[in-house]
Amino acid sequence: MSSPATPGVLAALSPRDADTSADRRAELAEIDASTSGTVLLFFLAGMVWLLIGTVFALLASYKLHAPEFLAGEAWLTFGRIRTAHLNAVIFGFSAEVAVGVMLWLMCRLCRVPLMAQSVINAAALFWNVGLTLGIVGILKGDTTGVEYLEMPKYATPILFVAFALIAVWTIVIFRFRREKHLYVSQWYLLAAVLWFPWLYSTAQILLVLEPARGTVQAAVNWWFGHNVLGLWFTPIGLAAIYYFLPKVIGRPIHSYYLSVLGFWTLALFYNWNGFHHLVGGPFPAWMITISIVASVMMIIPVVSTAINHHFTMVGHFGKLKYSPTLRFIVFGAVSYTVSSLQGVASSVRWFSEVAHFTHHTVAHAHWGMYAFFTMTMFGSMYYILPRITQREWPSERLISIHFWCTALGIILYVAPLSWGGWLQGKAMLDATVPFLDVVKITLPWLKLRTLTGLLLAVGHVAFFVNLVWILARRFGPYRQPEPMILAGVTPATPAGK
Amino acid sequence: MGIISFILIGSSLVFPAVALWALWWAGRHGQLTHADKASLLPFDEQEPVGRMTDVVLNRPKASTAAPGGVAR
Repeated sequence: MSSPATPGVLAALSPRDADTSADRRAELAEIDASTSGTVLLFFLAGMVWLLIGTVFALLASYKLHAPEFLAGEAWLTFGRIRTAHLNAVIFGFSAEVAVGVMLWLMCRLCRVPLMAQSVINAAALFWNVGLTLGIVGILKGDTTGVEYLEMPKYATPILFVAFALIAVWTIVIFRFRREKHLYVSQWYLLAAVLWFPWLYSTAQILLVLEPARGTVQAAVNWWFGHNVLGLWFTPIGLAAIYYFLPKVIGRPIHSYYLSVLGFWTLALFYNWNGFHHLVGGPFPAWMITISIVASVMMIIPVVSTAINHHFTMVGHFGKLKYSPTLRFIVFGAVSYTVSSLQGVASSVRWFSEVAHFTHHTVAHAHWGMYAFFTMTMFGSMYYILPRITQREWPSERLISIHFWCTALGIILYVAPLSWGGWLQGKAMLDATVPFLDVVKITLPWLKLRTLTGLLLAVGHVAFFVNLVWILARRFGPYRQPEPMILAGVTPATPAGK
Repeated sequence: MGIISFILIGSSLVFPAVALWALWWAGRHGQLTHADKASLLPFDEQEPVGRMTDVVLNRPKASTAAPGGVAR
């Protein structure tokens, strides 16, 4: 037993003033300031990966209708570029921004400053080193060939160690919370940091380090591939929506009970969903059937979440005019509902038999990962960055360009490609249609996909410019002509500025 | 594969067990009740209910009242 004079490791890590009354709330500005450097690091690294991933995406998309383009360089072939794109945006942009948002939300809701930031900063460094090795490895041709786990085995242990640090630190923040009652966002965040290491380590062991045999490989692959979206990115996206939607409009969530029901039913049903990707494959039919049933049961968390979001917003839609956060978050929330219901439909056998192995699946993945998750993360960054930099967004015009290019871009990407994929699937099932004709059917949709990809790229560049601009202001002279608009966290003008 | 199987089967048992424990803990500590209190957790004295906290676009002039009760 440790004496009072020799505090344990956890106590030593606790915030300096953690011995004050539990009711005392830390100043928001103090909490925001403590997260500033770390969250900025994750956001900036994530945005750099987004730009890199966007370039890869445009190259890959163009190659789909112009296959001779850059075909002479092995590392620029479609198989490598497309895989590099996926890993850059999933494990680069999405994961890093998600960690930044998660840390900020957890500190705010726990009402504790981020302690020992150097630990998390080291994790960010590890993560980016591992990811760079992984992406370069993919471009070199070292891919494992397992979807969503393509990075070579010399890169993944670094990523795992980095994420383990992040997970442990998130739990440490939670351990020292001053607010004992949990908000639903904290449930989602805690579950996400526990689920991801489990998914990632299990899949790495069974698919890369000690590969399982036969159909077990397919089972583990889709158990991981589906759950990394639904049990890692989705909970963080929903945590952000459940925080920012009420926060921005100044109205509590419509039904807290519905939000809790949504969390626990997601936890119960989502884990079983992945096998519906194996409809028609050499896989036990009963396992696929269970997966389809669980996928249909996902209607419960999805609809309860949709009802909650909608009734929270009722009467407040006019506020979309003023808040970029609200625009992106509402877009993400609606997209969560639509993409999830589309996913439910896609799991049913007759639908899957047409849509599977077509561009419809690609469209669905982008509906979830971009229209829902990425837009939600953009909205979160619009809220967080002014608070941790103590500066307002420099350009309203760039914000508008960002929103309209990404919103229109992803709608024009997903809707036509879903339809084009359906036509492709119908043609593939028709034995009288030659395969080359099937390819020709997809061409107009693929060209449109490249054009909408350009629109998305414009939006990404606009946001990146605004991000660099706000950082330049942070480290430059204080030029704020008006009081900060950040209600409740109006900072004092820095001394000497 | 022996140790790996042990780890995998163990984790498959531990994670549902942790989930059940979390649900039990939540019920025991009132986390599944007191919804009124829980729904107010994003708010506090500095950023209370009824106050919009992200007015960035189309801002009214500083001298005029914010639209729809929006707090700047």
